[in-house]
Amino acid sequence: MEPRLTSVSPLRNRKSLVRRLSARPWLLAATLGPLFASCGVETRMEPYKQTDAVISKGEQLVVLARKQHSNHEAEEGFVQCISEALARGDGRLEVHATKEFEDSMYPWFEPSTAPLSTDDLSRLLERPEVMQQVRKTGVRYVVWLDGSTDRVASGGGITCAAGIGGAGCMGLAWWEDDARYDATVWDIKQVESAGTIHADVKGRSVMPAIIIPLPFIARPQAAACRGLTQQLKQFLTSPHGYGAGPEPGIG
Amino acid sequence: MPLSSRFRSARLWSALVTGVVLAACSSSVIVESKFPSPLVEALPVKMGILIPEELYNYIYTEEIRDESLWTIALGDANVAMFKPLFGKMFEETRNVDAVPLTNNQYSLDGVLKPTIEKFEFDIPINEKNKFVEVWIQYQLTLFEPDGSMVVAWSVSGYGKHELGHSKEDAVQRAAVTAMREVGAAIATKFAQQPQIKNWLAEKQHGATADVGVATAQSEVTR
Repeated sequence: MEPRLTSVSPLRNRKSLVRRLSARPWLLAATLGPLFASCGVETRMEPYKQTDAVISKGEQLVVLARKQHSNHEAEEGFVQCISEALARGDGRLEVHATKEFEDSMYPWFEPSTAPLSTDDLSRLLERPEVMQQVRKTGVRYVVWLDGSTDRVASGGGITCAAGIGGAGCMGLAWWEDDARYDATVWDIKQVESAGTIHADVKGRSVMPAIIIPLPFIARPQAAACRGLTQQLKQFLTSPHGYGAGPEPGIG
Repeated sequence: MPLSSRFRSARLWSALVTGVVLAACSSSVIVESKFPSPLVEALPVKMGILIPEELYNYIYTEEIRDESLWTIALGDANVAMFKPLFGKMFEETRNVDAVPLTNNQYSLDGVLKPTIEKFEFDIPINEKNKFVEVWIQYQLTLFEPDGSMVVAWSVSGYGKHELGHSKEDAVQRAAVTAMREVGAAIATKFAQQPQIKNWLAEKQHGATADVGVATAQSEVTR
């Protein structure tokens, strides 16, 4: 007997698959479980403080982005997120507005003129007008943010179809974003670097589509903002025993 | 409906559609910003500032292939940048209309004329590039009050801004960053240019010599 060829629309096929999956919850769990497990955020924070300096009452800090790189730059939204988060909540700090600081120190904190090292900062502060302006702002700490959030991988695909009987999508898309930032803290009063906090947050997002797309989106940049803010608050308020870094000679 | 009337109607519709398409395919940006005064010590010279008409009304246009026609107006931003910049860089500034100065009534030491030499911008076309970039080159020409040229100095600035929801906004912000960079370069490097350094030294020496002559004369008359 010759096999019978039947013509079934892809949409009907998908609908029956959904019906079959929903009839067997364990099958649905087995199908979607690995997807949910693969979706999420993985955070790594490496603080390193090399002085005992802490922020005192009346002293301010300013968060600035390093803009010397041609291919990346800490996003304006990320700088704003850190600034705002540091200025609110438990242990909030006095944060000077970034734009206001750059304007008041113009032209010394522009991409081409900003000090790249504490030696540069020391030379800059030798200018009496600059030193006077720094004092006027009340800023003691400069937090330099360097890094960016980039899409490091993506794959899969979703196809959608529409017909007289209805419309629907089927497939799976996934992507991975990596938020890597360094927050380097400079102490203007002591003209030295107080330390660095390195944040690396990987976020995997998945979007399965069974009739309708279900987005499970990880937000590594927001997680990096929360993590760095928390670390910076500790960094600037804990004098001792904070993220002392690796012992010399180990590793 | 008569054929000619139909034809006229079709032409009207096609003109309307073309107009809508053209409007949708053009982007215009008016660069506007407040530029801060630089934190620098004023140079001890009285400078005439000659802002040419083309700088006041500078508009850059470029048709990007497979994209749209871009119109970027920098005139207002030029004025907003140079006014506080020169005002803080020199001991005294005066706006002048032309060089040579017919009667140097304010005893100006020189005249500075800024012009735009080049303007370039780039908009990312693929996902990997996420920055809009702007590059501007100005030329600052320093003249003696008698019209002789001391130096023509080219100074450039680069600015980039992440491409957000609006390309126009990103271009405007990148242009402002580039202009701030130009201002920063002028404020910090103007006096370091060899010819300008010599010119400044001459003016200083001349001023000291004048003071010396005046002191000697007053001693003689005493």
